[in-house]
Amino acid sequence: MAAPAAERHAPSFQLGPQRVIQMDGSTLVRVGARPSLLQYVRDIWTFRHFLRYDAHARTSSQNNLDSMGRVWMVLNPILQAAVYFFIFGYILETHRDVVNFIGYLIIGVLTFRFISGAVTSGSNSIANNQQVVQAFNFPRACLPISATVRELFATVPTFFVMAVLVYFIGDYQVGDMERAEIVFNWKWLMFFPAIFLALLVMTGFSLILARLVSNFNDVKHIITIGTRLWFYASAVIFSVERFADVGHDWIITVMYFNPAFCVLDIIRDAWLYDGLGDPFRWIVLASWGVGSLVIGLIIFWRGEETYGRER
Amino acid sequence: MSTPASNYTPRRANWMSTNGKTSDGLDLDPESFDEGFGFDEIEEIAWDDHPLTQSAPLVETVDPKNVSVVVDAASKTYRIRSGNEHLKSTKRLSKQVQRVLGSGWSEVHALDELSFVVNRGETVGVIGTNGSGKSTLMKLLTGKIRPSTGEVYATSTPIMLGVNAALVKQISGRENIRLGCLAMGLSPKQAEQKFDMIVEISGLKDALDMPLKAYSSGMASRLQFAIATSVDPDILLIDEALNTGDAQFRARTKKRLDEVRSQAGCVFLVSHSLGTIKQMCTRVIWIEQGRMLADGDPEWVCSQYQEYTDHKSNGRMRSAQIVYDRTLLKLSPLQIEFADGTRPTKAG
Repeated sequence: MAAPAAERHAPSFQLGPQRVIQMDGSTLVRVGARPSLLQYVRDIWTFRHFLRYDAHARTSSQNNLDSMGRVWMVLNPILQAAVYFFIFGYILETHRDVVNFIGYLIIGVLTFRFISGAVTSGSNSIANNQQVVQAFNFPRACLPISATVRELFATVPTFFVMAVLVYFIGDYQVGDMERAEIVFNWKWLMFFPAIFLALLVMTGFSLILARLVSNFNDVKHIITIGTRLWFYASAVIFSVERFADVGHDWIITVMYFNPAFCVLDIIRDAWLYDGLGDPFRWIVLASWGVGSLVIGLIIFWRGEETYGRER
Repeated sequence: MSTPASNYTPRRANWMSTNGKTSDGLDLDPESFDEGFGFDEIEEIAWDDHPLTQSAPLVETVDPKNVSVVVDAASKTYRIRSGNEHLKSTKRLSKQVQRVLGSGWSEVHALDELSFVVNRGETVGVIGTNGSGKSTLMKLLTGKIRPSTGEVYATSTPIMLGVNAALVKQISGRENIRLGCLAMGLSPKQAEQKFDMIVEISGLKDALDMPLKAYSSGMASRLQFAIATSVDPDILLIDEALNTGDAQFRARTKKRLDEVRSQAGCVFLVSHSLGTIKQMCTRVIWIEQGRMLADGDPEWVCSQYQEYTDHKSNGRMRSAQIVYDRTLLKLSPLQIEFADGTRPTKAG
């Protein structure tokens, strides 16, 4: 907060009479001040329609530059899964110790793509939307949240593809892969709470990173590296047990507390192995979800007045 | 804001006139020292003889009910990332480092400290040549950026009407209208109600389903303006760029603008057209080179501004400077004091 006006000096060369205006300021508010946290959350709620519409409009226009349009929303994940299968499953043979490796790989690659995509677009949402930020007065947290929700909307076709692929070719064997029967039952529904919790985690991460990127553009580069690292720490294309073989036990501990790994593990357990997910995974994931959302919101809210500035 | 700066009255008269009203312990009043000090013997020196050194501040108390906007010593210095900043750096080492990194900060002083109080019902014109800091002042008023020093207070958040309402390039005009309405805090129902009005003002009925990137720049700015007018703000800022567009569009906007203006409690109008300013405003603020030069009667300020720009455009820099200095001399520097503990800090 700046010093009160009375402590600053007026220019000395003016001839007009110095005027002092006394007033009661209790009816005024400071323009652009950030509201209290509770009020802030309420404001976000008032702007929920904006948030939803923004996410929806931008998702539906995402692929309209391509001549094949939204087909890419389906085709892209299939191709990606195929590439990873070819390199890691077929050539490098990372499928040791993994039952139903093809399903394992498909779930890993496609779900992680959603997670990293949401965090990346959420963290760039303030920096890339300066126009919108400067033109309208709305709680800025709407942008990172809407970016994450947008990523969810855009990934719905991917999840459909994923479910279909896992059901039909998830237990297909190439070479010496192990196989277990894939059962389609109510346990597949565990996918929804898991994705919901993942969404909370990613919203929290987006809020924190969006403030960082808005203040220091350099963080963008670190995020790119970070998601790469995160990819390998989430057992996307190989099993956790591979680390146990070579004696790096601490990596396993890190993985067990990694929210992305928990999401993947729960979905795999439900879809491939007819389980409900390890309770420990649920606990870790839920605490990440609530914790990061609350902390992210507070961190983002404290920077509310800085997002509109020129850079 | 009882006396506009233009009605320059000798200080002595001012001082006397306020003396009776504000005798609440201000030590500027020699009469109050009289008891027992023998001040009667001392010859009183007329203040008029020493106008520069002996200026007694003119204290006014304003009724908070009338006040709409208070700008309290707000200034703005931008810090911009710049690749050529090392050229100006004086230290050798930091110059080399910045040269290698190709990155640095450059500072732009956009606005010097300025203060003013605007009452309800006033229409304030803001004039100044390009790059003088008008837009920065508008951004400070709407709270988009925070002043480097000082603060801006208002009864409610001022809304800017301009062609800077953001649009998303990939989506259609129709979707942009809805998105813009929602971004301004309207509910979906209200947005639906305003939709026809926005389409009518913009005159883009045939192009609604095209993506925005297919629009010409004129069409886009018409759409932006139409979206921006869909709210009825209490404190309204109108940007000069509204004067763009063809005659047909201008007639439509004028009608809508008059409607919005009549509902607003207080209006700021940024324009280069002195005719518009004189016609609409009850008060004019002239900003030049980041400094407030004048604040008062439209006729007087506009005539000074006209003279200044005439000199400037004809290359008479010294004459322009004289007009600048002369105008600045007449400005009353303003200081704002809030009653104890009522300096606003919270948000609306």
